[in-house]
Amino acid sequence: MTPTTVQLFATCLGDLLYPDVVTATVRLLEEAGYSVEFPEGQVCCGQPAFNAGHHRAAGRVARTFARAFSRTAPIVTPSGSCAAFVQRRLPDLLDCEPFPIVELSQFLTAESVGIKPCNEGRTFAFHPSCHLTRELGVLAEVPEELLRRSGARVVPVARPDLCCGFGGVFAVRQPELSVAMADQKLTLPEPVDALVTADPGCLAHLDTRAHAHGVRVAHLATALTGGL
Amino acid sequence: MSPPGSITGFRTSARVGLADAHARAAVAEATDRLRDGRLAAWATVPEVEAVRDRAEEVRQRAVDGLPENLGRFMGAAEAAGATVSFCSTGVEASRLITALCSAADARLVAKSKSMLSEEIRLNEALEAAGMRCVETDLGEYLNQLAGDPPAHILCPSLGKTAEDSAVLLSRAGGKTVPTDLPSLTRAARLQLREVFTTADVGITGVNFGVAESGSLCLVTNEGNGRLVSSLPRLHIALMGMERLVLTLDDLAVMLALLASSGTGQRLSSYTTLITGPRRPGEADGPDELHIVVVDNGRSSLLGSPYQAMLHCIRCGSCLNVCPVYRNAGAAAYGEVYSGPMGAVLVPLLEGLANVPDLPHASSLCRSCVDACPVKIPIPDLLLELRRDLVDRQVAPLWERAAFALWSLAWSSSVTYRVTARLARVLQPLLAPVVARLPAATQRRLPRLALRTFRETWRARP
Repeated sequence: MTPTTVQLFATCLGDLLYPDVVTATVRLLEEAGYSVEFPEGQVCCGQPAFNAGHHRAAGRVARTFARAFSRTAPIVTPSGSCAAFVQRRLPDLLDCEPFPIVELSQFLTAESVGIKPCNEGRTFAFHPSCHLTRELGVLAEVPEELLRRSGARVVPVARPDLCCGFGGVFAVRQPELSVAMADQKLTLPEPVDALVTADPGCLAHLDTRAHAHGVRVAHLATALTGGL
Repeated sequence: MSPPGSITGFRTSARVGLADAHARAAVAEATDRLRDGRLAAWATVPEVEAVRDRAEEVRQRAVDGLPENLGRFMGAAEAAGATVSFCSTGVEASRLITALCSAADARLVAKSKSMLSEEIRLNEALEAAGMRCVETDLGEYLNQLAGDPPAHILCPSLGKTAEDSAVLLSRAGGKTVPTDLPSLTRAARLQLREVFTTADVGITGVNFGVAESGSLCLVTNEGNGRLVSSLPRLHIALMGMERLVLTLDDLAVMLALLASSGTGQRLSSYTTLITGPRRPGEADGPDELHIVVVDNGRSSLLGSPYQAMLHCIRCGSCLNVCPVYRNAGAAAYGEVYSGPMGAVLVPLLEGLANVPDLPHASSLCRSCVDACPVKIPIPDLLLELRRDLVDRQVAPLWERAAFALWSLAWSSSVTYRVTARLARVLQPLLAPVVARLPAATQRRLPRLALRTFRETWRARP
């Protein structure tokens, strides 16, 4: 039987800041028997400009996505926010048919992919990002269950519903508020080996303040491949 | 105080809020309690999602045909004996109410809670005309004594301690009030009773106007709305033109959600329905009821992408879940409306160019969407406002140029790769500059990886 092909959307943050997260995503998919394609024309979904109100700029960048990806194989991405944008906003922005994009934890769960017990004895807290849960509609239990299946104990963050303060342009335009929100998110009820998130945006933002709290922040794909 | 975004900007005003640890803790405590109350109350409403959908439909129906529905309401209210006036602007409404009070020879005006009266700066107008206007909602009364704007749409004096309240009430009553709650309550009650019984005019807001009957619905917890609307000779009801429901059945749908969304109560302590002034033979009620319906920018939202904002019932639920309001505080948004609903409403009422920062006072976390009883898509409206900022060229030229350049560079993977390489080469040179940007304060900024993922991918065997 030929392996099922999935298209990988690395996202701009994944490509530029967190290549290890994308590599871990590839590993999870390949070990589960998928053939991973990386469409070379991909750049970014355009969300940063869209959320700042610059729709023409967003459209220009989003078209790279529409040109690079096909609608015949599932598109998997290690970002709840980008998946939500491609699913909910891109078709209207470009006046095109929707793309079959799936966020990583959603895909692994829907496909009943086996998770290696690489985190025995570890404790993680999971940050269910706003766009993953409230925009894409993935329940926090989905990634949390994957972490549990990797052998880890998963403890709750203080207020899972509160945003970590990233919000794209928000982090730049409102630095003080954004930092305060990150500090609240990083104040964990008990010590953990890592605060895990399924969004490179939250990861990059929380990482800017993690040093002040002695907390390690990691991506779900990194955690599920035992990269901690 | 200057409006946020104009001179000081939301960021600056939010910094003031952030620095006030006492106020932040008070906001967090109060809003958590209100939010938990809402969640618990909603859990007891059978099929709450379906009720929210119905409530949204009720508001949609009322707002969709607003001019016609308002005509029906005004006709029915007049048939019930009320006088109804429509004012296009806040200034017009303030002038009319001042004139009505003067004509009634009013010296003392008692007012129950009305956000619209704050929006149109009614107290200032009445005081300028030589009348004394007293807020009778306890929180608003304390705020008035202190000269503070509301800290929360439902709990305006949130953050004031018992000691703060004792100082204010002692000063107002001319004798020392102890700081225990029974003494404070007794002092406030005595001071306000005096106002209720001697006021010449009572001014209230309106939670809902019912189009089919011309009735006004007031929802309060302290009973002050009932006293203000029944004891003085003249009752002036101040109503935003969008605060309509078509029928009493529609009102029932809204009442099931209003109190539960705001405070977690199944119903508020007092739900008052007023249809016309006192009729012959009736013991209670004013001689005259004058309903002042105010537009003040609302009708411009009809048929616009922002029409859904007119569905808002001012329950405060969105404030109670908002991480930005929680940290920035109400004053960061201006003097009247705050939180997610304020971030949308204030630019729409005051003009986007006057408060260009408010649409950006959100991380678009969508908590408010889940909390809104009538499901107003607040983040989508904020995105639309941000788009207007750009399209109407309110956003500065440098910002528009930066996004245009960025989008050109990232419009193909070939040029994208060039920018990625360039950024990597320049990173060590630019790092000291970047570190001095405001956004870098207190942060360890992420660094570009030594190799992008795509370079790793290409190097795969």
